[in-house]
Amino acid sequence: MKNDNKTIAVKMLEPGGNITPVFILLAVILIIAFILDILLGSVSIKPAEIFRVFTGNADTNIETIILRFRLPKAITSLVVGIALSLSGLQMQTIFRNPMAGPYVLGVSSGASLGVALVILGFSSSFVPGNLQNLGNWVLVISAWAGAGAVMILIMFISSRIKEIMTILIIGIMLASGISAIVSIMQYFSSETMLKTYVIWTMGSLGNLSGGQLKVLTITVAAGTILSIASVKMLNALLLGENYAGSIGLNIRLSRLLIFACTSILAGSVTAFCGPIGFIGIAVPHIARNLFGSSDHKILVPGTIMAGGIIMLISDIISQLPGNENILPVNSVTSLIGIPVVIWVILRRRKETGIF
Amino acid sequence: MNTVLQRQFYVLITICFISTLIFSCVGRKNNIAEYEASKGEGIVTIADRFSLEKTDSCTILTINDPWQGAAGIKNIYYLVNRNSDITLRVDPSEVIYIPVQKIICMSTTHLAMVAAIDERHAIAGVSGTGYIFDEKITAMIEEGLISDIGYESGLNNELIIRISPDLIIMYGIGSESVGYVGKLREMGTQALFNADYLEEEPLGKAEWIKLFGALFCKEKMADSIFTSVVTSYDKIKEYIKQTAGEMPDVLLGLPFRDAWYISPGNSYISRLIQDAGGSYLWHDTKSSVSMPYGLEDVFLRALEADYWLNTGTARSKKEIASIDQRLKNLPCFINGNMYNNNKRISPGGGNDYWESGALYPDLILKDIATILHPELFKNKELFYYQKIE
Repeated sequence: MKNDNKTIAVKMLEPGGNITPVFILLAVILIIAFILDILLGSVSIKPAEIFRVFTGNADTNIETIILRFRLPKAITSLVVGIALSLSGLQMQTIFRNPMAGPYVLGVSSGASLGVALVILGFSSSFVPGNLQNLGNWVLVISAWAGAGAVMILIMFISSRIKEIMTILIIGIMLASGISAIVSIMQYFSSETMLKTYVIWTMGSLGNLSGGQLKVLTITVAAGTILSIASVKMLNALLLGENYAGSIGLNIRLSRLLIFACTSILAGSVTAFCGPIGFIGIAVPHIARNLFGSSDHKILVPGTIMAGGIIMLISDIISQLPGNENILPVNSVTSLIGIPVVIWVILRRRKETGIF
Repeated sequence: MNTVLQRQFYVLITICFISTLIFSCVGRKNNIAEYEASKGEGIVTIADRFSLEKTDSCTILTINDPWQGAAGIKNIYYLVNRNSDITLRVDPSEVIYIPVQKIICMSTTHLAMVAAIDERHAIAGVSGTGYIFDEKITAMIEEGLISDIGYESGLNNELIIRISPDLIIMYGIGSESVGYVGKLREMGTQALFNADYLEEEPLGKAEWIKLFGALFCKEKMADSIFTSVVTSYDKIKEYIKQTAGEMPDVLLGLPFRDAWYISPGNSYISRLIQDAGGSYLWHDTKSSVSMPYGLEDVFLRALEADYWLNTGTARSKKEIASIDQRLKNLPCFINGNMYNNNKRISPGGGNDYWESGALYPDLILKDIATILHPELFKNKELFYYQKIE
């Protein structure tokens, strides 16, 4: 049986058909989605006027909207989509589990604990309701600290444990434990605090300052480069740790590297934008199905593009173009992600061995 | 002939019997003169969410739609003087014996109204001791005379039983709040929902002082406080109407992450701005709750604002800029036309605007009018508001 899986997996490594047209198509859709994200928003602006912003003689208000609101938000969406999808792909490969995602290691729970401590815990001893006034960086740093702490813990555990599934279980247990602590804190907090925290958990793409966007972009770029560098490792791990070990891969080292990479990607996104669900689980499946391949040389760039596209589309929907109200982005990504995951489960009967 | 008369007689008897049952409260007419004299006291004129009806034996208190989103719900209570020997033929769970002697208040606005009629000594419990402005009440908490009974579902039921108050005055967030009241009633504690925070009219909110007047048998005092608030409010409103020219545009609140929660045009604060001679940027919206608007949409309209009020708990421009750097580009920020309602803050963090502000909308109105029309109120010091520097 195990041998059987391996044959299918090896077969899956070979690209199914010509992949160049798929890449070109994805690139075109990505560019269109990016442009649409800038064109559409709660304020209706004519495309001609937006074009004038870039030629330098537009109305100052429109210029502000485009350059200070929509452009940073579109870049954030792109970066977030890439980061979450990539880390999801890595987690699915390393755990050889289709339901793994960027948050299985407890990174987002760690981040939410950090944020909960600031919003729900400490504030009661300060001025009540001052949560609205917490600077942006306070939340970012606390989320980062929380995610980092969980990451270090997971690294420590994984360096001592051989069996990869044990790490997965420990990660999930850790996440549940942290959620329980956060629940206790929620239980004892006032309505304003609770609302502030709940809004944070719904995710947001639009309130990063210029400096924060730079930091996010740099960390995600670093994580992406690491992922590209680890393509061979991922391909070997796809065939199982025993096989990877037999071809001379240092299992523990590559695990550490991939965990670090995922934590950097998912941790920074959660710190700046809150926990954004489902993208990380759904997008790698979309990429696998589009390319009909499990080769990470194809999947990594494919996931990057598909992730960017899906996140940009989610952002467009969450802005409800032409309407002054907005939807929380986390709900939109989930509503897009859930059908994909169901579709994957139904299809999996035909294509076992993809992992 | 005889049978017809008999039948009429029976019908009459039945009607009498039923009406005694239904109107048992109004049944006793022996003190008619006294009742007629006090009939006008404590009658609600502006508030939508409650009414008081005096009968010769009790006061009927009706609370309409006591929580957000409630529709067609009426809570009825019979306020009966504890020294009278009247037994009403009503559900005992709807009877409150007045004057109440020991109460628990869940909101600081209730505390301010109890304090205004000088009944602080009746307060035995509050929800969240940290957020109270009133110095005397804070002192009572420090002396251990007032306990903290916690929040909503986290209510400390055992502590409530130990206090055994005559009444708990709550506020309902949603229909789930009914559950807490059921539990409290089971424990033998009377509770009522105070819906003052749902009143859209500033004076309607202040009129809830009459509820406390009725509960403590201090109707006259409550009425006179309310009348003076109304007189002073109307005077300022009329003065603005006569003299103010332009209506400056007003922006409210702060964004949180992607959303800016906008108070609707039919809200309490929108009404105050209008009466103070201002034009709230979203005065034409209608909703029962604050609505999450997209940042860019709010930002674009905020560029037109002349004044920016109620900025959370921010005290400085630096705090506002740290929330979102882009807010620095708003004309209000650049001109410094930003005022917040947090001038009166207790060391523990209680804001008097949210405490006594409900009872004194005339003071809030005067503050906003002074901010929007400094030429009409020269050298007037602000009471609740302060400029953000």
